[in-house]
Order: sequence, then structure tokens, then C-alpha cells
Amino acid sequence: MIVVKDLVRQFKSGDRTIKPVNGVSFELEKGSLASIVGKSGSGKSTLLSLLGALDKPTSGDVVVDGVSLAGLPDGKLTEYRRRDIGFVFQQFNLIPNLSAVDNVMLPMEFAGVRKAARLQRAKELLEQVQLDPEKHSRRTNRLSGGEQQRVAIARALANEPKLILADEPTGNLDEQTGEHIIELLSSLSRDHNTTILVVTHDRSLAQKTERCFRLQQGRLTEEVRTGSRR
Amino acid sequence: MSVLARSVGNAFRNKIRTAAVVAVLAVAIGLALAMLVANQAVGAKVQELNASVGTTLTVNPAGGQGFEGGGEPLTTAEAETAASVANVTSVVGTKALRLQTATTGTTDTTTGATAQQGPGGGFGPGGQQATVSTNLTAAVDAGTLGNRNGSAGTTTGTTGTTQPARTLPITATGIGAEVDSTGKALDITSGSGLGDYATAEAKALVGTSLAEKNSLTVGSTFTIQDKTFTVSGIFDAGTTFGNNAVYVTLPEAQTLAETPDELSTMIVTVNSMENVDSTKTAVQDALGTDKADVTQGQRNLETAVSSLDSVKNISLIAFIAALATAGIIILLIMVMLVRERRREIGVLKAIGARNRTIGLQFVLESLVLVALGSVVGAVIASLASGGIASALISSNSTTTAATTTQRGGGLAGAMPNGAVPGGGGMPGGGQGGPFGGASQLLTSVTASVSPGVLAAGIAAVFAVAIIGALVPALLTARIRPIEVLRGE
Repeated sequence: MIVVKDLVRQFKSGDRTIKPVNGVSFELEKGSLASIVGKSGSGKSTLLSLLGALDKPTSGDVVVDGVSLAGLPDGKLTEYRRRDIGFVFQQFNLIPNLSAVDNVMLPMEFAGVRKAARLQRAKELLEQVQLDPEKHSRRTNRLSGGEQQRVAIARALANEPKLILADEPTGNLDEQTGEHIIELLSSLSRDHNTTILVVTHDRSLAQKTERCFRLQQGRLTEEVRTGSRR
Repeated sequence: MSVLARSVGNAFRNKIRTAAVVAVLAVAIGLALAMLVANQAVGAKVQELNASVGTTLTVNPAGGQGFEGGGEPLTTAEAETAASVANVTSVVGTKALRLQTATTGTTDTTTGATAQQGPGGGFGPGGQQATVSTNLTAAVDAGTLGNRNGSAGTTTGTTGTTQPARTLPITATGIGAEVDSTGKALDITSGSGLGDYATAEAKALVGTSLAEKNSLTVGSTFTIQDKTFTVSGIFDAGTTFGNNAVYVTLPEAQTLAETPDELSTMIVTVNSMENVDSTKTAVQDALGTDKADVTQGQRNLETAVSSLDSVKNISLIAFIAALATAGIIILLIMVMLVRERRREIGVLKAIGARNRTIGLQFVLESLVLVALGSVVGAVIASLASGGIASALISSNSTTTAATTTQRGGGLAGAMPNGAVPGGGGMPGGGQGGPFGGASQLLTSVTASVSPGVLAAGIAAVFAVAIIGALVPALLTARIRPIEVLRGE
């Protein structure tokens, strides 16, 4: 279970104080698929970076399965990202000179998984995200956008995280490929019992998630239940 | 894929850039290695020179210099006095003899010429070279110089009389250790030494040209004063004149000269180069200025060694500078790579990489570049080190060598054996003496790339590269994982 308590992140910009995240609170059940929608600059990515411990909040807390992130040292936050979080980015952020398999193996290498075990799991994950086996050994900079996003999703699942944070996962993809990716995330959430939070400005994408939050001027102002997807 | 494999892969991401970086590094590393090789070669030469002759003093009888001989001979008691002076490690006495071929001596006697005898008795320094007969024939022809010297030595008129063709005498030296008359170790090319140099024995060491001239081999015999000597070994002095010589034990020479306890010279070895000056003064004081003249072989080398030392210092500075350049190149390249890959570092941190893992990856990547640079640099160094060392030495020795050669010539004349009649004075004396040819010393430095020096140089390069790579590696720790969202 993910519990977000009165989360605030503020920046100084000259004389002004900006609060892209201003007192956000919500809870997510394990295995749920949720989305956060909002316009560009509404603070969606900032909120995602706080949930994923990429950044530290000015105040407030994120509690994952009873463990509070507030006050954790950098080493522990690294461990949290490695063990409990999977990221999917709009621009994929794969390591371009590594193969698809090597990219998926990276988080497992950092977690100390033995080479044979991580190779086997990486191949299984790439099969689950339906990447053509012929492309497993191909460098990721030679894959299409949809294929790269599949590799990114496989990488996010590598260490069986509790929470997958997806930042505009279909933003760089055409409509059809975007549909496939959303279906993939949905099925993975169901099959792996993994909580998935998708940040998007795409209303149609948000309609396909169980729960949808709207972020406006740093505040989570509205919750729209979109109905059961399962 | 391991960190190492990833680092190797990253090093070749941009092949053109990698080639350019390796080329620049190779030049810096090659220069550093070449300078190290030159430094080691010059250092070894300086050490060799200091070890061989740099710490010896030569003691002559006071007033016995060149042809103007005079004064009282040195004694074994004075050798003991010299040995008791602080910092003196050994004292080797010598007794010089002049071997005159029996038939030639007869010829000279009949013509009444005293051409073989120099001024002041004609027996070299202090007139202390006793002339004894031998059945050996000198290996050196008198030639123009020998005959001119012979004429200059004539003290009684034979005006109008045609001088007979001269035959040069042979230098024989009684020695107290297996060294030549200048204190350098004898290079025995066949046979063995004389064994116990403190005992009178009918054994001798013969120079190569003299042995060849008289068809002598190890075990052959010849006579001195009708006493039969066995050739124990054959030595190579390195000069034509030096090889026209015989060495016997000191007591044997004293017996032949019928001057027991007398010494022609003493070779005093001092424990270190730094103590040579003070020990020279101490020996001079101990023996008395009216008894002995102490000369310093080290002076002959001083200019040459000083020049070599400056080459050594220059090469050391250049080595350090080239090493620092390689370090700076690595530092700048890696800083550039870290800045270029900020987002990628953010990705690695976002998916759980520790700071040290990322830092290690960058250090290893820099070492891959350094390893490639070292390979090419080593090739450059092996090709260029000889030329660089020669250029360094020649640029430093142009002035010095001329000065040193002049000094060497002067000193050679002052050496005890300088009075020996013949074309060369003492071995090589006409060309500045054995240690006077500073230019030859300088150019005789051979800068060869040895595996040990190469390994040491490359180890230093790697150490500097690690230091250079640590800074950018530490920079990666400052990059926050949120960099991954920049531009999202």
C-alpha cells in the first residue's frame, strides 16, 4: 500500500516561491492501476519524482508498505529505488550502447542477482512485453519507439518492484502503439499484482485506469473513479 | 554485463573520439616513458662512472710529476698511513717497471745513446721506474712520436749520427689488487688473475696486443731479468698502449726493481663521492705535502657527471610534466564525458545504481583509454627514446664536452704514468686521458627501453590516470537522480 501524506515541494525562482506539489495526499492499494492527469507544468513529473525518491519533498511523507521515506539517507533511498520502484519514462531512457537484454539486466546487476539468473529473467520479461526474440540482443538505439518502451517496461519490472511509476509512457508513441503499451501495463499490473501509477496529460489514457487523479496548480483537486477495468 | 565490460563498451561508444583521445594520450605517455628511459639511462651511467672511478685518489711521490721527476719514493708504511684515514676504503700500491727488450738494450748501449731515458733519470715520475730486461718484444712501434721522444731525451751529443730505429719499452706494473694502474678493475679476457697479489710469484697478466705480438697464451712463459714468468691471464685495457703492458704482483715488482717497500703510486679509494674532497685533504695532511702529491681522479669526471646530472634532472622534470599532462588530459576528457552523460547517470541512479558503482565505471573507462594510450605510447617511446636522450645529451654537452676534454688532457699529463715514453703518454693521454673524454662519456649513454622501466613508467601513468579520473568520478556522486527527468 502507498500512502502519500500532505506532500509539498517548493522551489525558489528569484523572489518567487513555486510549489509544483502543494499538500498532496492520497492512497493507492496494492496492485491498483491509477493515473494522474494535468496540464503541462501542473507538477505531475515533480510528484512522480517525489514518489520515486528521485527528489526529496520540502515537507510531507510517502509511506510504502509501512516504511516512511522521510528522513531516509541517500543510501537507503537508492536501495528503495532499486528494490521497490520501477520507472518508465516518456523518452525511454535506455542505455543506448547496451542491448535490450543488457538494459533489462542492469537493475538486477545493481541488486546483486547472479548473472545466469538475471539473464534468464531478462529474457522472460522481454517475452512478456512481447519483444521479438530476435531483437533481444539488439542495441536499443536500433529499436523502434514502441520496442524501446517495451524494453523500458521490462526493465521496470526486473526487480519485481512494489510500485511502477510511468511518466507519459505513450507520449513519444503513435496512438496504436500507445494503446498496446497501456494494455501491457494493465495486464502486468494484474499479473504481477504491482501498483502502477501513470502520469499523463492524455485523458483517453487516464480513462483506462482504475483511478484517476487530477493535479492542478500543485494540488490534487479531484478524484474521478473511472470504473472497473478488470 | 559487468561494470568492467560496460566500461570497455563505453570507451568505444564514439570510435573517432576514442581514437583522438588515445592519440593525444599516447603522445603524452610516450613522451613520459621516453623521458623516464632517458632518465634511467643517464642515472645508470652516472652511477657507473661514480662507482668505477669517481671515488679514487692517486698518490704520487712529492715532486714526481711527468718527466720532471724528483723527491723520495713512497713506502708501504705510507700506504698504511693513508689506509688509516677516515672514509678510505682501500689503498692499492703500484710499482712501475720498464721492460727493455734485451737485444734492443744491447743496441742502444753500443751506439752510446741514452735515448730511452727521459730527463731526470728517465725513469718516469720521480725517476722511480726501474728498467729491467725481458725477452718480450713491444707490441707498439716507435713511429714518429716515439722516435721524436727518443731524440728529445738525448742528453749527450750524437750530432750527425743517424739514430737507430727505436723499440719502445714495455710497461710492467706491480699491483696490490686486481686493478690497473688507475684503479679500474682489470678486464681479463682469458685465463685468471694473479691470485694473491700480496705475494711474490712468477706469474703475470699480459695485455692482448703484447700477447699477440709475442705469441703468448695462458700458460706460456717469458722472462724478466732472466726469471721465467708464466702467463696467468690476458687482459684487455681497451687501448693499444694499455695492451702493451704486463702486470705482476706488487712484491714481485719490488723484488725485480730491487726496491723492497717502495711504491710508485698509491690508489686510494674513498667510500663516497661526497667524501672525496675532504678525504683528499686528509690523506694529503696525513702523508705530508713534502712526501706525497695527492690528485683526484674525480675531477676528471666532474664536468661530465655534472652535465649528465643536468640531463637527468631535465628528463625527470619532463617526465613529471608529461605525466601531469596525461593526468590532465584524462581529467578533462572524463569531466566532459560526465557532463555529457548526466542524464544517463541519472537513469542509472534511478534504477538503483550506487554512487560507487557509477564512479568505478568511469574510472575503469578512463583506465581503458589509458591502457590503449600506454600501448601506443610504449611503441612511441621505444622508437623515440634513443633520439630524445641523444638530443638532450648533445644539447647539454656541446659546451661542457669541449671544456672537459681540455681539462682531461691537462690532467693526463699530470698522471704518474704520463712520463712513460711512447706515442700515447699514458693510455689515451693524448686524447684527454681515460676519464678526460667527457664527450665520449656523454655520447656513450645508451637509452634502451627495458621492461622494468617501461612497467614502472606505465604504473606511474596509471596512478596519475586514477587520480585524474577520481575527480570526475566524484562528480558523478553529485549528480542527482532527478536529472533523468530533465527534458522529459
